[in-house]
Amino acid sequence: MSPKDKKFLMGGILVAVIIAFLAPFLASTNPDGLDSTIEKLIPGHEAEPVYESPMPDYTVPALGEDSPWGGVIAIVGGTIIIALLALGLGMVIKKDEPENNQLNKDE
Amino acid sequence: MHIGDGLLSWTWPIYYIITIIALYFALKWARENLDEKHIPLLAVMAAGIFAIQAMNIPIPWGTSGHMMGAALVAIVFGSPWAAVIVLSMVLLVQSFFGDGGITALGANIFNMGIIAGFTGYGLFEALKKPIGRFPAIFVAAWASIFVAALAVAIELAIAGTFPLDLGLFYMGLYHAVIGLAEGAITVVAILAIQNVRPDLLPWGKGGS
Repeated sequence: MSPKDKKFLMGGILVAVIIAFLAPFLASTNPDGLDSTIEKLIPGHEAEPVYESPMPDYTVPALGEDSPWGGVIAIVGGTIIIALLALGLGMVIKKDEPENNQLNKDE
Repeated sequence: MHIGDGLLSWTWPIYYIITIIALYFALKWARENLDEKHIPLLAVMAAGIFAIQAMNIPIPWGTSGHMMGAALVAIVFGSPWAAVIVLSMVLLVQSFFGDGGITALGANIFNMGIIAGFTGYGLFEALKKPIGRFPAIFVAAWASIFVAALAVAIELAIAGTFPLDLGLFYMGLYHAVIGLAEGAITVVAILAIQNVRPDLLPWGKGGS
């Protein structure tokens, strides 16, 4: 990876982490469009997840449901995990370009 | 717009099958088109979309909504298959936080990755000449979430969960408004990328 690409990667992930950090403080807690529609059309519907998340709805149960810091941990952690996941997957699924690698690097 | 477990009734495996077939074609696209230079962009898109999907914006009627990002990825990579790959990763990680049911993961990828990605990409390609690149990006991103919302309403009607008319009405209404944020954020994100790395965009100098 060229220095230019590394800079873009780190800068981009930093922006994502800042958004993730702010989200628990700024995000609206109103139900989203689908949840609102569910409330209107099937009142009293209770979601029953098949899989019980250890951090349901981006909260850390030990910190309490109302603490935004649980959200910070969950969302910032998730953001970093997904960046690494995408980098790893990208390396595996990218096209093979043995010859013109050098040509593409810095233009 | 994440569908939870139970809402799809017996229909959830259908969407898993469609999604697995789509992922085959998406990986084939990557093998043929994803060059090394674009891997950082892939990672930044995935991380950024995961983060911004946690940022719910209030809309009228006591409701909120968040950006989806499929149109953004499809336009930036010049392929809807890139949106399928990125949204699949995002939705998989989200389902571990209980955001979208595990049984509904196939349907959530179908709606927010496949339908939104193809709608966004197709409209952008169709509109970029007649109305200009950035207006086309706005309209394509708006339509991507609106059409995906209608698809959710239809799927939940097939499953017998929603009446079709009211489902289409409320899902359409809410997401027509949320789409304005989708359009605006997509335009801003693409302007930002164009500013720092125009070569990464399909229309940028030195881009592929």
